[in-house]
Amino acid sequence: MTKLILTVDDSASMRMLLKTSLTSQGFRIESANDGQHGLERMHEVKPDLLITDINMPKMDGFELIEAVRKVPEFKGVPILVLSTEFSDEKKTRARNAGATGWITKPFEATKLGAAIRRVCP
Amino acid sequence: MSDEFDDIQAIFFEECTEGLTTAEEGLSAMQAGDVSAETIAGVFRAVHSIKGGAGAFGHSDLTAFAHKFENVLDEVRANKIVPTPGVIRVMLSSFDVLSDHVEAAKGNAPRPNDGAALSALEQVLANKGVPEGDAPAAAAPAAAAPAPAPAPAEEEEDEFGFRPVGVSLEDLDSPADEPAGWVVRFKPSRAALANAGEPLLTVRELEGLGARVESVDLSGLPSLRDIDPEDSYVTWVIAAPAELPESDLSDCFDFVAPDSVIEIKRAAEDVLPEGATEAEMDGDEIPFVPVTATVDDFMDLGADPAPAPAPVAVEAPAAAPAPAPAAAAAPPAGGGGMPPAGGGGGGTGGGGPAKPANEAAQTIRVDLIKLDLLLNLVGELVIRNSILADRLSPADRQRVELPELARLTRQIQDNVMSLRAQPIRQAFSRVPRMLRDLSVETGKQINLETTGETTEVDKGVIEKIGDPLTHMIRNAADHGLESAEERIAAGKDPAGTIKLSAEQKGARIFVRVADNGRGINRERVRAKAVEKGIISADAQLTNEEIDQLICAPGFSTAEKISNISGRGVGMDVVRSNVEALGGRVEIHSVPGEGTTFTMILPLTLAILDGMIVRLAGQRFVLPLTHVLETIQPEPGQVKRTSPDNEVIDMRGEYLPVKRATEIFGLNDDRNIEDSLVVIVESESSGKVGLVVDTIDDRREVVIKSLDQNLHPIRGLGGATILGDGSIALILDIEALVSSPSRYTPKGLAA
Repeated sequence: MTKLILTVDDSASMRMLLKTSLTSQGFRIESANDGQHGLERMHEVKPDLLITDINMPKMDGFELIEAVRKVPEFKGVPILVLSTEFSDEKKTRARNAGATGWITKPFEATKLGAAIRRVCP
Repeated sequence: MSDEFDDIQAIFFEECTEGLTTAEEGLSAMQAGDVSAETIAGVFRAVHSIKGGAGAFGHSDLTAFAHKFENVLDEVRANKIVPTPGVIRVMLSSFDVLSDHVEAAKGNAPRPNDGAALSALEQVLANKGVPEGDAPAAAAPAAAAPAPAPAPAEEEEDEFGFRPVGVSLEDLDSPADEPAGWVVRFKPSRAALANAGEPLLTVRELEGLGARVESVDLSGLPSLRDIDPEDSYVTWVIAAPAELPESDLSDCFDFVAPDSVIEIKRAAEDVLPEGATEAEMDGDEIPFVPVTATVDDFMDLGADPAPAPAPVAVEAPAAAPAPAPAAAAAPPAGGGGMPPAGGGGGGTGGGGPAKPANEAAQTIRVDLIKLDLLLNLVGELVIRNSILADRLSPADRQRVELPELARLTRQIQDNVMSLRAQPIRQAFSRVPRMLRDLSVETGKQINLETTGETTEVDKGVIEKIGDPLTHMIRNAADHGLESAEERIAAGKDPAGTIKLSAEQKGARIFVRVADNGRGINRERVRAKAVEKGIISADAQLTNEEIDQLICAPGFSTAEKISNISGRGVGMDVVRSNVEALGGRVEIHSVPGEGTTFTMILPLTLAILDGMIVRLAGQRFVLPLTHVLETIQPEPGQVKRTSPDNEVIDMRGEYLPVKRATEIFGLNDDRNIEDSLVVIVESESSGKVGLVVDTIDDRREVVIKSLDQNLHPIRGLGGATILGDGSIALILDIEALVSSPSRYTPKGLAA
């Protein structure tokens, strides 16, 4: 079954890039443009996987991950962080918040696809 | 796909423009003393986003520069570098280089020379600021030394499949003797499971590589009663073929939390849970395999310019020259001058959870043509609505709820209009950069004060005021402001100030460029105008009229043609551009104190607040922006001063009177006492009385341009459709009142 992925990024070009590169790899993509919007969309689309940016207005990625993990229904949803950030401190924060994995931007479409399958076959 | 890619890239460039605007605003605010966390976070986020996108689209130069810039911003954000004026200056000039990089990425410019900016940023990083003497000292002290870790090192690491995966710290022996098979020992941590990692996926992935599960260690399992379904109790021991590269195996653990136990060893070695951090191995008896178990962790997939990998992980098998294990491999080499923990250890505050500062606009992008089409359709809708209202009896109108329909239609119209409105900030955004360049070129110190940049204006107007604005700013910097010496001699602050402001008044936008320079030298302007034959030598002109000469075609006071404002275009271009928008330019100058140029512009190009008047029975729309007042003339108030000229006595002030009907060659034998005189103000002719039959209405009309193949008639600016479906022409007051009283009608059948 086609996996449904929710991507959250405040950059429209990044959202589109994710959508094109992942749709062509057989995923279905929904997107949201900040953490708050992302949380709303989680409830609406109930994705198989959440991919989120960190630096976003309104609600950042850390806050989004924490909020998502608080919802019992989403406890088992893998969450990948896709960010240009790369510091350990940030990664640790994301992990403590409940992120499943971390991918540093820029990404290669095929590697991203492989990474996604690693957490969400 | 490639078209699609280009499209997305075009959007990325738009985002860059937005990001640069945000960054510049933030930096300017910082320069003005606002170093709040929100402001800094706003700048950081903007630069960060540019970097992220640039990487995705393969603009490596832009990525690399943005990265260095971001490092400094991150340190500032984490309070590790104090944003002193010196630091802010470095950031501002870095901003300029960043803008140039964006242009270069777009293909509009050559790659900028960013060496100086890069080393300034590096020094700020190395020194945690800018040394006392302001500009970053040429010689960065020793601090710089450890930083520029050899870039090649990073590449080697990549080649060797370096991954910041939590691997237990072991010496990396046995590289190449005859390799024994691999033994992988894997126990996911509780945290891994909690983050929706699935260890079975990892196990299966390994199996896909040819590995097989040797044993599952269940010794850690507690009794059923004590089992916490969210905890991790199982350890897998997996054998993998000897010929597999280690990186293939470690790759499988990319997403497994570092606090999980992951050991990858040659079979010969002793495999012990050495790196096991949280060993919950106090177990009991009953086997239990967690179903919703998980693994998780963190890896770097992309080749970020300077990915600072987790310093814990060291996997550098025989990396030839690599000095010492752990420490050496860790520093983010590509980052050049960045101290190891720089980006990372940024303290808790550094985490990017900054509350939205300059809230990035949540936008969708719509082709302007679509928007205009929508606007047009809504205009039609409004018109049909009025037609319907005209045709129905009042009772029927209520019955079909027409008033409600009309209200909704109006709301739609207002909304669509507002879609075209954008903050004038976009037009202002290039000014700071321009002034910094001008400051260098002219050697003058120039401060910029901006207000009202959130004023919303029609996009069409914003696009068209860019050039006039540029010219006004250049003019102010070049001609308006004096040199520092001159200013000091005049007892002024050596730094000149240019104030840029925008405000909305009614349906007009006032955009001002005010300098506190020397003011207009009227003697010189006058002499020049005489010399150029613009005025006669004996012309009697008021100060204001002399000032206006600056905008006369062909006038330029620049004594030396400077690189800055003397580019063959004079202020007349400013005026004609502004007038083409239906606006006008006002000049106010006080000798020794400065000059203010004001562009007065319509709020929108698509709609107009109009007065519906009748001329010889036909309906016309008179733009309200020009209207000062309307009077019903008393007998004798309008006097004929010559066969072709009439004046009206307005409380002692005599204003010329124009009869639009005559100008358009319409038959009109109406008595002046039965007519109305609308006093309008125009840029070129001042106050003029315009004779109309009656005033029917006042309303907003949707401007429809006249078709190109219609013969242009001076005095008509367009057309609109009125409520009853009939067409009314829109008067162009400026052209109308400045045209000769008698007009030879061409193409307009009366």
